[in-house]
Amino acid sequence: MPFLHAHRLGKSFGEVRAVDGVSFEVQAGELYGLLGPNGAGKTTTISMIAGLLKPDAGEVTVDGTPFWSDPQRAKRIMGVVPQELALYEELTARENLEFWGRMAGLTPRDARQRAGELLAALSLTDRARDAVKTYSGGMKRRVNLGCALLHHPKLLLLDEPTVGIDPQARLNILEFIRGLRANGTAILYTTHYLEEAETLCQRIGIIDHGRLLAEGTLGELQERLGGDRLFVLEGDLSGAQPDAWPGFRERFRVIQQAEKQLVVAAVGQRDPSDCLKELLALPVRAENVTLKRPSLNDVFLQLTGRDLRE
Amino acid sequence: MLRTLIAKDLRRAWRNPLPWLIHLAMPLLITALIGLAFGRGGEDSGLGRIKFALVDEDDSPLTQFLRGGVNQGEGARYLDPVVLDRATALAQINANQLSAAVIIPPHFTRDYLGGHAPVTLELVKNPAQSIHPAVLEELLGALVTGLNAVSRNFQSEFPDWQAVFKGEGDYRRVAELIVRAGDRVKALRQYVNPPLVMYTKEVRANESKPGPGFNLFGYLLVGLATMFFLFLATNGMTDLQRELAQRTFERYHTLHHRLWPFLAAKALFVVIAVLLGAAIMLGGGGAIFRIHWQHPWVLAALVLAYAVFAAGLVALFAAVVPDERRSNALANIVAMGIGLAGGCAFAPEQLPTFLREHISPLLPSFWMTETLRNLEFGNGTATWGWVIFKLVAVAAVLLGLAAALFRRRLAQGLRA
Repeated sequence: MPFLHAHRLGKSFGEVRAVDGVSFEVQAGELYGLLGPNGAGKTTTISMIAGLLKPDAGEVTVDGTPFWSDPQRAKRIMGVVPQELALYEELTARENLEFWGRMAGLTPRDARQRAGELLAALSLTDRARDAVKTYSGGMKRRVNLGCALLHHPKLLLLDEPTVGIDPQARLNILEFIRGLRANGTAILYTTHYLEEAETLCQRIGIIDHGRLLAEGTLGELQERLGGDRLFVLEGDLSGAQPDAWPGFRERFRVIQQAEKQLVVAAVGQRDPSDCLKELLALPVRAENVTLKRPSLNDVFLQLTGRDLRE
Repeated sequence: MLRTLIAKDLRRAWRNPLPWLIHLAMPLLITALIGLAFGRGGEDSGLGRIKFALVDEDDSPLTQFLRGGVNQGEGARYLDPVVLDRATALAQINANQLSAAVIIPPHFTRDYLGGHAPVTLELVKNPAQSIHPAVLEELLGALVTGLNAVSRNFQSEFPDWQAVFKGEGDYRRVAELIVRAGDRVKALRQYVNPPLVMYTKEVRANESKPGPGFNLFGYLLVGLATMFFLFLATNGMTDLQRELAQRTFERYHTLHHRLWPFLAAKALFVVIAVLLGAAIMLGGGGAIFRIHWQHPWVLAALVLAYAVFAAGLVALFAAVVPDERRSNALANIVAMGIGLAGGCAFAPEQLPTFLREHISPLLPSFWMTETLRNLEFGNGTATWGWVIFKLVAVAAVLLGLAAALFRRRLAQGLRA
């Protein structure tokens, strides 16, 4: 049984359909990534799961119980890390952690003890007595994460927890999250960073314009493009018309076409050298043809026609 | 949980005390400024002694007599004349050491007694002061009226008096002049006594009770504190909008708690902030300005009720306008309006008639200030119980409205 089940979630703000029929599941001990550009509907989805917004349609089930049948029960077993820093900047890291621990239902003693553990785990012990407003962005992010973990949540919702911090700080946070997953916590992780989704998440859902376009492991998503390699033709391709090339559509699938670049995937299991020969024989001036492993960006490109990095 | 929430808010306020200190210091400063501008304000309230220069450029026996009479008897309680020459007097006025200079011109006695030409006394007022020079001008007017009356009634005697002042008369002549003057004064009695118009003076019994009586500082402080309680409350409730903007409220909402403890804690925080502010303003201000609060428990109960009302009012603003800046601006404008129209900064009698008769009586700030002023500096018979009931009832309505509006906005996805 999945620990978290989002079933056909829908939410509109006026005329804007922010989330449209999104469904996915997260198992205990699984890290599920929701990948999409800004405005794709990730935060709205996570807000509905956290109970901050009531869905217009669909249902959220947490640990086998529909969320809205007993929101308090569901909230007790989940921790939420909002995208924006939700901290009291005048207070110290320890005071923030202890306060949120008390709010999560811990006794003063337990909150104090747990805050100490988290400060050590997040490498913040040295600065624990300083006001949060004096911290760097990465340190604040770590405190922001810690505030959701005081009560050992079984389900953790992380809404872009590494936005706006330097690579080293990001690596530290990602490592910490891997440790949480290893301890059996079910984690829903939203991001627009391809690398994070590729290296961190066991399964990934690609979301855009409020709709979940595809989901699966990285390998499964790559498989959608026709295997583990793509062919990239570079040159003057402004006049290229793949539909006019005899038999091309039966042998190749166009992933992206631009003036200077054409990205294609072979249909079926074919010898790469044969594919290269066929591509070089095309009636276009190709200056360079390369082979590469398909990335999540290529998957996103194929699904939406847009580059996720744009 | 309420204790944890309030402790957190108090700790945050302690770490960022500047806005609180400004709101606490302002009423004390304004009270001190206004109070000092109008005198000491306590039992020895009044204008104090008026220090002014007497420049006697005539230096005759008559002017010496006038100079000597100025600070005799009752005059000595209010007047503090110093005899100077013109240049020194003007220099001291410029240095704001004197309120005015009264200049008796040369030949004043000769011209006055001779009746040759109208005589003039000169008054130079200190432009940096308002009340003392005005009082002196009024007194000088009275003196001139008196001198005119003497001149009209004793004109025929003046040549003889002039001779005496010149040292030409002997004691017998002086004695005859005094006797004649006495006879004429006796003859005047029938014109002035009994007077045609009289007034009676009565001191009301309850005003003559022993106690501090009117205290200008206290009167001002009660009003200004009442107005600044609203500013303090606004500053306290602004914290709710800050929590919305900083997403800490959102984080709270992801926990298993209901909405009301968070809102109740904020309202309680506002009440505590106002009570602490009241202790500093009224307690500290009382010590500084030597105000003896006659009914401290009633005062405390009224302040508590008013703090609850203030919490309700600012909670409603926060619920209607979640944006911090807009809500703050609105709350401050309304607080100032309620304060001014409620007679916090001015005595209600000085307000425009329409406000005084139709608007002020509806305002909680008016209920509060009028009750406190009556209790502490009036006859002590204010119906404070009824006022407390009204304040709490209004607060309950406001808090209920605020909670309902806030819940509605939250359901719609409330964000700052």
